[in-house]
Amino acid sequence: MTPAPEDRPRLAPGCRISESDQQTGTLLVPEGAIKLRGTALRILEQCDGARTLAEILQSLQLEFSASDPERIAHDTIQLLGQLRDRNVVTW
Amino acid sequence: MTATPAPLGLIAEITHRCPLHCVYCSNPIELAAQREELATEDWLRIFEQAQQLGILQLFLTGGEPLARKDLTELVRSAREHKLYVNLITSGIGLNAARLDELVTAGLDHIQLSFQDSDAAAADEIAGARAHALKLQIAQEINRRDLGFTVNIVVHRRNLARLPQMIAMAEELAPQKLEVAHVQYYGWAFRNREQLLPTCQQVDESIAIVESAQKRLAGRMRIEYVTPDYYGKYPKACMGGWGRKMMLIHPSGRVLPCHAAEVIPDLRFENVRERPLRWIWEESTAFLRFRGEAWMPEPCRSCDRRAQDFGGCRCQAFLLTGDAAATDPVCILAPKHAAIEKIVAAPAPQLATPEREWIYRL
Repeated sequence: MTPAPEDRPRLAPGCRISESDQQTGTLLVPEGAIKLRGTALRILEQCDGARTLAEILQSLQLEFSASDPERIAHDTIQLLGQLRDRNVVTW
Repeated sequence: MTATPAPLGLIAEITHRCPLHCVYCSNPIELAAQREELATEDWLRIFEQAQQLGILQLFLTGGEPLARKDLTELVRSAREHKLYVNLITSGIGLNAARLDELVTAGLDHIQLSFQDSDAAAADEIAGARAHALKLQIAQEINRRDLGFTVNIVVHRRNLARLPQMIAMAEELAPQKLEVAHVQYYGWAFRNREQLLPTCQQVDESIAIVESAQKRLAGRMRIEYVTPDYYGKYPKACMGGWGRKMMLIHPSGRVLPCHAAEVIPDLRFENVRERPLRWIWEESTAFLRFRGEAWMPEPCRSCDRRAQDFGGCRCQAFLLTGDAAATDPVCILAPKHAAIEKIVAAPAPQLATPEREWIYRL
């Protein structure tokens, strides 16, 4: 399931980004951990349940202005869809 | 020599005390008494050592972890040491106030166990009137901000109600439902004849779970732990011996898995005497089956050795008498006939009157 522009993605209950310095970029989930690569961490940090997908995409496209905005949108939506299937994010 | 990778998870059996008497209890036959249990300050020291060792996940379990009065303090300390805190519980001993306390202390996730969807059948398995209380506490959990998993243990006597059990979980609305077949160690080994499902039941259950997984995708994830007696290849028990997990017994002994004490001639170190890192990296119990040097044929030259790590050492010992044998679940194992014999046995007995349960004492 992929998010629509007006959806407000957030981490699912029981999921959080690790507070430890040694584990930067580790997403802790019930009974497991997911290593976040590259921009995945930046994407999830913005999934606070307040911002819409459209706003998140805008902010990412601004931050990574050297990259193709279409590509950023595609990758972000794909990542959120995959994480929703694993019950790590919700909206 | 390359450095030993850090373990991912620490299973803390903080007590063996439990208000339930489940006929398939996975705890060892000999339980630790309350006077043997580690003190609060021992656990606080362990959590600090776990953080230094790089452990990410803590599993507070038992027995029933709620039986410890210092549980909230343990959760708070574990969170201070950057651990993700899972509570594996029957729910007995939990109420709204205590749940609030645990959530405030930093509890991340609760796995709540059920025995059945039918109250009378559930209470028969548990040897206690527990089912109604579990339903109440599930609602309380759902109102709070924490991860929630429902766990249902299945076996021959309740598999016919698998659709009802899935429906019950849907109503309780956890993020995840874990449907787990009884694994035959500890107390369950004693009631194996009564619990072992038929091949037909197993096949039907797989189809039921697969269709529910499709229907509920994106709402509730269903994890199905298949009974390994019916697999072609063994499970990667604990993700490999001394590879991902360590378990601390209520008395402080550190084990590679919860059943490891059935294996004779293994010496288990105690956290009262040794630091966790030394036990993980250098103790003989963890080294004994770590890696591949211990493997006999056919494991040693098998392409699957990095997937299942030779299977389960405790099962190999229980069924062949040799802890270093290939797990007999494997169709390539020299002793695979032992499994075939057990699996072939239950079907004709289904119609016969049930034997009495041997309840967990």
